[in-house]
Amino acid sequence: MTRPGLTAACGAMLRRDLTLAWRRRSDIAMPVLYALIVTMLFPFALGPEDALLQRIAGGVILVTVLLAMLLALDAMFSSDIDDGSLEQLVLVPQPLAVMLAMKILAHWLTTALPLIVITPLLAAMLHLPASVIPVLLLALLLCTPLLSLFGAILVALTAGTRRSGMLLALMLLPLCVPALIFAAGAVAAAQQGLSWIAPISWLAATLVLTLVLAPLACAVALRIALDS
Amino acid sequence: MSNWIPLWLHKLSSPPTFYRFAGVLRPWALALALVFGVIGLYGGLVLAPPDYQQGDAYRIIFIHVPCAWMSMFIYAIMGVSAFVALVWRIKLAEVVAMQSAPIGAAFTFITLVTGSLWGKPMWGTWWTWDARLTSELVLLFLYLGVIGLYQAFEDRRQGARAAGFLAIIGVINVPIVHFSVDWWNTLHQGSTVNIFGPSKISWDMLWPLLAMTLATKFYYAASLFLRAQTDLLSMESGKDWVRRIAASEVDQ
Repeated sequence: MTRPGLTAACGAMLRRDLTLAWRRRSDIAMPVLYALIVTMLFPFALGPEDALLQRIAGGVILVTVLLAMLLALDAMFSSDIDDGSLEQLVLVPQPLAVMLAMKILAHWLTTALPLIVITPLLAAMLHLPASVIPVLLLALLLCTPLLSLFGAILVALTAGTRRSGMLLALMLLPLCVPALIFAAGAVAAAQQGLSWIAPISWLAATLVLTLVLAPLACAVALRIALDS
Repeated sequence: MSNWIPLWLHKLSSPPTFYRFAGVLRPWALALALVFGVIGLYGGLVLAPPDYQQGDAYRIIFIHVPCAWMSMFIYAIMGVSAFVALVWRIKLAEVVAMQSAPIGAAFTFITLVTGSLWGKPMWGTWWTWDARLTSELVLLFLYLGVIGLYQAFEDRRQGARAAGFLAIIGVINVPIVHFSVDWWNTLHQGSTVNIFGPSKISWDMLWPLLAMTLATKFYYAASLFLRAQTDLLSMESGKDWVRRIAASEVDQ
């Protein structure tokens, strides 16, 4: 019996997850709507002064995107656990870490990318200067995969439990502190006209490291959670 | 001849042996914790001279600093025993890791509370977004995450393995958090007590601090032994050795 090569398996995995996500398009729209509504609430709560909104815009958008991703994170493996296909995935001859990396990539494409696409709109709602928006987008491009990767490990760990979104938040948010600090640091530096290369480089370095290690950790976590 | 240490350790990792071992050592640990605690508190609150700048307010370090050390020390113990539990699947290591978490969370909480009590007269604020304070807060959330994940599983051993894995991820993350927050903002004073090189603290103040450190260490040992004993009893509740203990308790 011949088995498909690694590339073919990765392609199939990615295609399957993207197709499944596309069949339930309304799920993709939910985090986007959530981010829009949360961003809309801030001017109501704090008052519509331009100066104030400009000052907090970067931080508000980063935290909103973080929370929107957290909401969507629970769904990363849940349907696969329900129909048993996750156990099948653990049994495939290809390395589990690579397969999970594909799942994480698909999840990032369907949850984080739409959020990044509407970020200029969120920035405009909070009067963020147009010159800062590219830096914000760059910071989000580096910071959201980090969240997806960290989130994947934790979702895998909770795969065998009674599902609890609050627990996921309690575990994920402390781990996100460095990513949030560096992303917000880059945006703040750009807003003050300073060099924003250093925090962006730190984010990129962390992302490279996490990209290598997180799928392996995710595979271990999933084995622990399904081992019963 | 020389392999009695590994042999003894292997024996110790069996639940009934550890149960007896912990039962013998626990009163001693508790007594030592009390003795060192009384000595340390008397030395710190009565004998040590007031600070030339902070007056008597500095005396909270005799609680604050040992607890802060313990919060990190217990996390390290938890990480190491979680690693041992994951690699060698030793049941006792799981118990030690999971029963350390609530004690460590308590020490972290005491550190935060005493720190903010001291911060009010000294810095003029209960809380400031400083690197050490923020890392300590993140540490508390990590402890709570570990406890929460452990509780979320139906199966206790599986929960211990999952929560242990989370603790190991936390071990990697805590230095990164500390470094990134340090880069972000800092106000807390640097270390004054060094293991390597001279400490920048007077001996009159140092010895009560060290006594309190020993007291917290022994308290942790006593508390961990008690928690581990209880946990082992409920985990192994169907086994013969637990039945025998239960029977002997009933006889008395």
